[in-house]
Amino acid sequence: MFKMILKLAWNNAFLRLSRTLLVIIMIAVSMSMMLSIQGIYDGMTLNMVNSALRSDSGEISIYNKNYRLDKQIVNDIQNAGEICADLENNPSVKAVSVRYSVEGLSATARKASFSNIIGIDLEEEEKFGAFSKFLKEGEISFEKRGALLGAELAKTLKVRIGSKLIFSTQDKSGDINSIALKVRGIIQTNNLVIDQRALYIERKQLYEFLGVDTNTATQIAIRTDDDALINTIKKEYSEQEVKSFLELNPLLKQMEDMMVIFNSITFTIVMLVVFIGILGVMYVSILDRIREFGIMRGIGMAYNHLRTQIFLEALFVGLAGYSVGAILGFFALYYLQETGLNLSTYAEGMASFGMPTIIYAHQEFSYYSNTFYAIVLSSLLSVLLPLRKIKHLHPIDVIKADT
Amino acid sequence: MFKLALKNILFYKSRSITTFILTFISTLLFIVYVAMMDGSHESMLKNALKVYTGAIEVYKKEYRDIGGNEYLINDVKSIEEKLSHIEGIKTYTSRYETYGLLSSKEISSAAMVTGINPDKEAQMSQLKHTLIKGEYLKHDSGNCLYVGADLVKKLGVDIGGEITFVGSASDNSFAADIFKLCGVFKTGSFEFDAMAAFVTRTYFDTLMYSENKASYISIALNNLDEVDSINAHIASKMDTDIESLTWKTLMKPMVEAMEVDSVFGYISMSLFYVVIFFVIMIFGFINVSSRVREFGTLRCIGLSQGKIRTLLFYEMFILSTAAILLAMPLGGAIAYYFSLNPIVIEGMSEMYKDYGIISDEMPFAFNLLTISWNVATIYVLNFLSIIYPVSYINSFKPIEATHHV
Repeated sequence: MFKMILKLAWNNAFLRLSRTLLVIIMIAVSMSMMLSIQGIYDGMTLNMVNSALRSDSGEISIYNKNYRLDKQIVNDIQNAGEICADLENNPSVKAVSVRYSVEGLSATARKASFSNIIGIDLEEEEKFGAFSKFLKEGEISFEKRGALLGAELAKTLKVRIGSKLIFSTQDKSGDINSIALKVRGIIQTNNLVIDQRALYIERKQLYEFLGVDTNTATQIAIRTDDDALINTIKKEYSEQEVKSFLELNPLLKQMEDMMVIFNSITFTIVMLVVFIGILGVMYVSILDRIREFGIMRGIGMAYNHLRTQIFLEALFVGLAGYSVGAILGFFALYYLQETGLNLSTYAEGMASFGMPTIIYAHQEFSYYSNTFYAIVLSSLLSVLLPLRKIKHLHPIDVIKADT
Repeated sequence: MFKLALKNILFYKSRSITTFILTFISTLLFIVYVAMMDGSHESMLKNALKVYTGAIEVYKKEYRDIGGNEYLINDVKSIEEKLSHIEGIKTYTSRYETYGLLSSKEISSAAMVTGINPDKEAQMSQLKHTLIKGEYLKHDSGNCLYVGADLVKKLGVDIGGEITFVGSASDNSFAADIFKLCGVFKTGSFEFDAMAAFVTRTYFDTLMYSENKASYISIALNNLDEVDSINAHIASKMDTDIESLTWKTLMKPMVEAMEVDSVFGYISMSLFYVVIFFVIMIFGFINVSSRVREFGTLRCIGLSQGKIRTLLFYEMFILSTAAILLAMPLGGAIAYYFSLNPIVIEGMSEMYKDYGIISDEMPFAFNLLTISWNVATIYVLNFLSIIYPVSYINSFKPIEATHHV
């Protein structure tokens, strides 16, 4: 019996081919567009999160309790070496980066700009966030008083590889001290704060320049996959301020949340309109065949069997649309993942948002599974109204009915 | 034909209601969304212009690209004389900007110190109105310094406190002086409040040897819409080594950021319109496919294919116009109301300070031209949606159509 219902449903689903094709095209086009937009937006957010993780805070960062409010040398971490050694022995810690940072003025003969000089260890940074991948121009090297500059800072100072600049700031004794540096490389992290302000030099050289102890740091950043690690570190270093990535980047968290809300609203509205589309077609399709259903009821077919047939018809149409949409969406997302969306026409605008000029889409299984459930649900719900109409009609009346 | 279309609309209620509701919602959504997007962009630009950047700024060529004392304007008075004869200019003022270190007893910080004409600056920008402590500069303020709130906080000084300046003068010689903190301002722009300090030009010129010199001349206009024509006029009056740039160039990153935001906004909106377009088309198609026999009869009694096209066009026209006539004033009223009473999102400026947002207010833009093209887009989409149903119905021969089941 079920085989016959299945066959009937299949044949009837494609009986009015133009109508059914229109619904399939509607589902496919809207689904592929929705997936592409979702993938691009998620790709944008993930790129920003990834940049911030790799270039700055990691999953966890440790600061002196006063440092984030008052970024002065006096507010550095005094026993950074011991903390770093302890963390490196922790199996949950994937990488640690010890940084020393102070604010000051970078100047060339013609231009000047505010900047943060950051003392780093290149090996540590490579392990921490594949630092060399941020290189835009030049080389990753601190040789002969070399410095690496954020791309926006380099633009402001109008410097190129090989240019010289002077960085001035207050050292530990309170005196204004200056250091001459040579630009070895320009880096682009797409982390606004880094790109606009960062001037990286060798950590040891910065300690010497500022006259601070080599056992100190302003930030100890940690990479880990263990979500529970932060609680352990908070307990262990209660005299310091220990912050998670999301605590340090509430804006990114908010952007992520907003993207989820936006995508959910888009998803709901699109599915609602898709539902209206399927409903229209199924309703008319059932009313067109109401005498046919009356005859079937008259020759003894149970209402339950009719209902199954109509549900299956709606499912076939919905799933056909879904299949075409999933294939189209997959290829659109694949293209956007590989080639990306090139927005280099708006390069300066993108940089001011802290975004790369080419946005690569993100793709995950949940895009397809969520859409699958939504389309199946929309298809099944769309026939409830016409089914009610059939249920309450007497077979003889139905046969007599003038459609 | 129009009457027949009207009767058909009333007869085929479900199709009419669906088309009407979808057209109404999409028109309303489009008008409100675009008004909100344009409004927030305009607000960001206006706020940025109000704070410090002029509608037009006059520079010596290469100052912005290369910089340095060789590229200062050396004859401010003659340029100002030329500007005074150009119509549409509200006011103008020269600024001498330099970077140096400002130090209190304990703390030093890099800062942008600018020599300004306090009276003219008060007409040009929001500097005077953003005073939060102490007093604004006067022409005889002497060594008074007017400093951004975040910079003051960092230096840890209070009104009357001493701040030392170390920098280089316009002749590249070493310049140092002791200033007195007289006023504190807060524009809301974190970057600006953390780096800017102002001093009266008459005093600063003696320290920096910058009399009749300027980094640039900033110009405010009576009507911002005339910026391009006035800029062209200014450019024609200036020497060849001087350039005048509008805010569109001066704030290029921000303008581009707004454009990117608009592009993404329209991409998101296009998704809704594609889906709605299909649904309207499907309902239109269902409607005509259930009326094949009716159209066959009409053809048999002498109606041409063109007349059938006109009939369906009228049906869509009536439904779209009714929905748009209701949605347009409603959308316009919402846009107009929120253009006068902006939505306030507490904490928005604090959260997005790195992105140049300095106000919690999000006003809408009320622009009849924008509303008109929003409405025109919906009209076009609705008319496009009947192309397939029309071609479908016209594919039948009259007799064949009358026998259609």
